[in-house]
Amino acid sequence: MNRIAVPTRLAAMAACLVAVTVVATGVGSSALPLDRVVAALIGRGETMDEVIVWTLRLPRVALAILAGMALALAGALLQRVTRNPVAAPSILGITDGAAVGVVAFLWIFSDDANALTVSIHWQPLAAALGALVFSALVAVLALLDPQGRSPLRIILYGISLAALAKAAVTLMMILGPVYRAGQALTWLTGSIGAAHWSDVATVAAGLVLATVVLALLGRLVRQLVLDPDTAASTGVAVGRTQLVFLALAVALTALAVSQVGAVGFVGLIAPHIARFLHGQFTEGFLAATAMIGGALVLGADTLARTMAAPVELPAGALTALVGAPLFLWLLLKERRTHG
Amino acid sequence: MKKSVTILVLVLGLAIIASLHLGLNVYAPAAVLSALGGADGTDAIIITSLRIPRTLVAICAGAALGLSGFLVQASTRNPLAEPGLLGINAGAAFSVVLGITLSGSLGLAAIGGLALAGGLVTTALVFGIVTAAGRTAGPGTTLLAGVTLAAMLASLTQVLLLVDETALETMLFWLSGGFADRSFEVLALGLPSLVIGLVGALAIAGSLDVLRLDDDSAGALGVRVTGIRMGALALGALLAAGAVAMAGPVVFLGLVAPHLARRLAPRATSAGQIVVTVLTGASIAVLADIVARLIVLPGEAPIGAVLALVGVPILVSLLRRKAEAVL
Repeated sequence: MNRIAVPTRLAAMAACLVAVTVVATGVGSSALPLDRVVAALIGRGETMDEVIVWTLRLPRVALAILAGMALALAGALLQRVTRNPVAAPSILGITDGAAVGVVAFLWIFSDDANALTVSIHWQPLAAALGALVFSALVAVLALLDPQGRSPLRIILYGISLAALAKAAVTLMMILGPVYRAGQALTWLTGSIGAAHWSDVATVAAGLVLATVVLALLGRLVRQLVLDPDTAASTGVAVGRTQLVFLALAVALTALAVSQVGAVGFVGLIAPHIARFLHGQFTEGFLAATAMIGGALVLGADTLARTMAAPVELPAGALTALVGAPLFLWLLLKERRTHG
Repeated sequence: MKKSVTILVLVLGLAIIASLHLGLNVYAPAAVLSALGGADGTDAIIITSLRIPRTLVAICAGAALGLSGFLVQASTRNPLAEPGLLGINAGAAFSVVLGITLSGSLGLAAIGGLALAGGLVTTALVFGIVTAAGRTAGPGTTLLAGVTLAAMLASLTQVLLLVDETALETMLFWLSGGFADRSFEVLALGLPSLVIGLVGALAIAGSLDVLRLDDDSAGALGVRVTGIRMGALALGALLAAGAVAMAGPVVFLGLVAPHLARRLAPRATSAGQIVVTVLTGASIAVLADIVARLIVLPGEAPIGAVLALVGVPILVSLLRRKAEAVL
């Protein structure tokens, strides 16, 4: 794998992602053969095909890819900053904070007949609000920490508040109406559902901003691989860099979670798959991670809407089904190439 | 160290006494004493067949989870590690949900047995994968393989629950763990693994001290690094599987108890930390169980939620103090 040049490898991954995209756009309740998908994509298809592709399938496909990219990048940054291979967006308390926002929203705005008294479109806002409140709490605790702001302590505050948020969610689900509990559970698992181009644009804008920041600080990302002392001696302001990347990871997670719910596992595993397929010290590691994350969530969401059709499963329940076998296979394959 | 052990024993003792008195019915000390002395009547039955078992289960599960967390953190040198990362909770939950889906309904003892089996099989799978991955695999790989397998099983569990909605309500409560309505049979399921785990942990405590150094120095001092690490992980897995058989997947305790213990006795040897961790885990579990029966009367709150409500403020306040200033 490592004998292939870096640009070729990244191009191959991008090609795979495009292929998965085309397939995912084709499958569904009214399946389209590949040639009609491609025709619709380049604007030469029949009107009906173009409606299906451009207003129904593509926004959802794009949202899945972009959310996956944001979560995967957040995971890679967190693993770098904390130098911990099991760090993932869920440990920052953001995902669970967003969950508190959503469950509280469903609870407060339900009437006696279990109907929502306000539009469901406010739900992402509730999620973002919850994420914001909990990440602000983590930040305040970390900033006021009398013993300095080491990443481990920030993570411990994050885990603590995540546990608190989970407790709040459980209590609200048990005390609240059962029907709402089921609905909240679907959201907590993460599901893409009906997506609009406006949602896609929101996540895309955030990703572009993050990419700009990462392009400016790319060298620092690689230097953080070194242990703190060595990194400092190569001229990195370790503490400040860690905080910047941590903040970026928070923002990326909040962005993704507010749109697609608490999709798990991607942030944890995408960087490790990228490590096997591409190499974590190689140029383009973050790009590879992002593409793998996008492909994972897209694969999970496509399975979610086709596996038990017409019932839709939450995509978050399937990210592990898609990603775990791949990762375990790579883990076992590594032995044959190195051992 | 001695001071913190004394304080913890006192806290645990008081918590146990409180646990027998408090609940939906609050009893006077005289009633509890006469029940313990073998008196008859509704109150005595409630105390001997409900309060005593749940208190014992809380003590055992809390101690087992705390110790399990300590072993997993020590052997992987990863402060974020906890028993759940080895896939035990997910494996237990999956086998229980599968059992309920296939057979309709199950008693708590049957659920406990399924959970124990599921947890142990999953751990065996994780170790199998790590062994198959060969010499490049360290404790980091073990955690990653565990997390991955756990995520896969959790997603299968979720799919099962989404398909079978009747199981959802029963499972939602079991999945958040708890000590209520446990019988002595359930206790018998988890107790052997607690005893084996505790004895085993104390037996390798000396090597765990050396393991705090880096691998090369530990090896130079004559410790079989890989063997000890894998042994500690296996003991941790056994302890957690026993706990999940007794109380369901109780989260957070395995992570928090070792951190609290480290704060309470910062300079203790591994043997000392094992004792402090066991006492800390048991105390938190009993205290959380008391809170669980009191906060949503006449119902009960899930223990996982209460553990977070009780544990998080303690953890945060300890984190904010200088290590030397504690006790």
